[in-house]
Amino acid sequence: MSGFLYGVVLQWKLDIRSKSLLVTCYIVPLIFFLLMGGIFTSVMPEMRSTLIQSMIVMSVSMGAFIGLPPSLVETYASDIKKVYKANGVPLYLGLATMFLSAFIHLMLTCIVILLLAPVLFEAALPIHFAGFFPALAIYIMVSLSIGSILGLIVKNQAKLTMIAQLVFLPSIMLSGIMFPADLLPDFLENVGRIFPASWGYRLMLDHGFQFENLWYFILVFCAAVIACGMLLKKQKAK
Amino acid sequence: MSNAIQVRGLKKNYGSHGVLKGLDLQIKAGEIFALLGVNGAGKTTALECMEGLRKYDSGMVAVNGKMGIQLQSASLSAHIKPMEAVKLFAKWNKAKPDYGMLDALSIKEMEKKQYFQLSTGQKRRLHLALALISDPDIIFLDEPTAGLDVEGRLSLHEQIRKLKSRGKTIVLASHDMAEVETLCDRIAILNDGNIVFCGTASELTDKVGKKYFIHIKTQQGNNTFETDNIEDTLLSLLGELKRKGAHVLDIKVDRGTLEQHFIEMARRAEE
Repeated sequence: MSGFLYGVVLQWKLDIRSKSLLVTCYIVPLIFFLLMGGIFTSVMPEMRSTLIQSMIVMSVSMGAFIGLPPSLVETYASDIKKVYKANGVPLYLGLATMFLSAFIHLMLTCIVILLLAPVLFEAALPIHFAGFFPALAIYIMVSLSIGSILGLIVKNQAKLTMIAQLVFLPSIMLSGIMFPADLLPDFLENVGRIFPASWGYRLMLDHGFQFENLWYFILVFCAAVIACGMLLKKQKAK
Repeated sequence: MSNAIQVRGLKKNYGSHGVLKGLDLQIKAGEIFALLGVNGAGKTTALECMEGLRKYDSGMVAVNGKMGIQLQSASLSAHIKPMEAVKLFAKWNKAKPDYGMLDALSIKEMEKKQYFQLSTGQKRRLHLALALISDPDIIFLDEPTAGLDVEGRLSLHEQIRKLKSRGKTIVLASHDMAEVETLCDRIAILNDGNIVFCGTASELTDKVGKKYFIHIKTQQGNNTFETDNIEDTLLSLLGELKRKGAHVLDIKVDRGTLEQHFIEMARRAEE
């Protein structure tokens, strides 16, 4: 097994051992899904058609903005980075392995939601799985790339908690997963469109996998890759 | 003996403060070399410049061989297990873990623990193991025994001696004079960014002065006397004690500790 592959598998195990990631990627999103799934579908039965997408948006936002960045800060704002550098391990390894590991964890959570929602709440399954899964993968990747920037740019955990909430809360409140976004004032609706949650929600809906919902992800992902590259370069130069 | 490391005119400033002011050093292959200095003297900066972890402003550093680095402040992911870290670093260095070395450092004993559960001594041993993974020729150890108990310290000294016997060059920065005195072939004393001494411990003793310390234990207690002339002083002290009717229980003569010489060198450098 190559060093990189071993790093990804190891990081996946470390994430499972870390209780904080277990909480943000599995426990809280799944409890939220069980509670809100019951409430939503009994108060507004029409939400059954979008319950899976809504719960996935909530889970991915939590895992990407609240789960991933603290692990990155633990590595890049500490002596771990120096140990990597001193012992011939490239600096990008931490970011790449944590990104891929979080991607797998979030994908698993989303699959659990996808499997349980129809059984527990009679939620409608996506009609076109061929469009749904690429949409889900793209949405997770872009959300994680924003989480990666947060984890590389913020140097302390207390500040990070605050900033992560500033990204997470509007993602949830303004994306249209709790209530239709067109009920919001124009200003707040536009603010909601800054975050990937509202785009991800639309992209995963039936017939949503189209360029008009995709361009945002392409743009944000490219910008995030460049930003992460520059931040890693800065770390290396230090 | 060829040079493992050569440093010429090394300068490093942090803002307007000069930390290294033109360091010149030659470290021979196969020796244990210590960098000594008070806090803020520039030891860690000098080591990091040699290791290639820190950029320097001017001068030259030439390192002849593969390096292994144990940092003063080092950390790993809280949940990683020692053998997982060893395998990860071995794979990146395309090296096979040396299980003999891992046994000697008792890494396998701690294999079920996660990093955050390890004691300071276990963490130090693990970081030394990681530094040795790629079978380096030159090993940098920054304060290797800081925070260790006596047993941990002795065990690490044993490992360092074994490494030397295998022909490795070891460069260490330390505050522990007794450690340096027992382990090192040569020392350099850094003061305010300059090297004020470089040589063996006995050369340092000669440089500081030919002082002898005579420790005499009598029924009345212990007394220490300093002298440049051991024969005359010892005879006169014994004569005086005999006149007073004091019963001598023990006599020891030494040339002072490295610590005393280091303090003397630092004092002279200050002047």
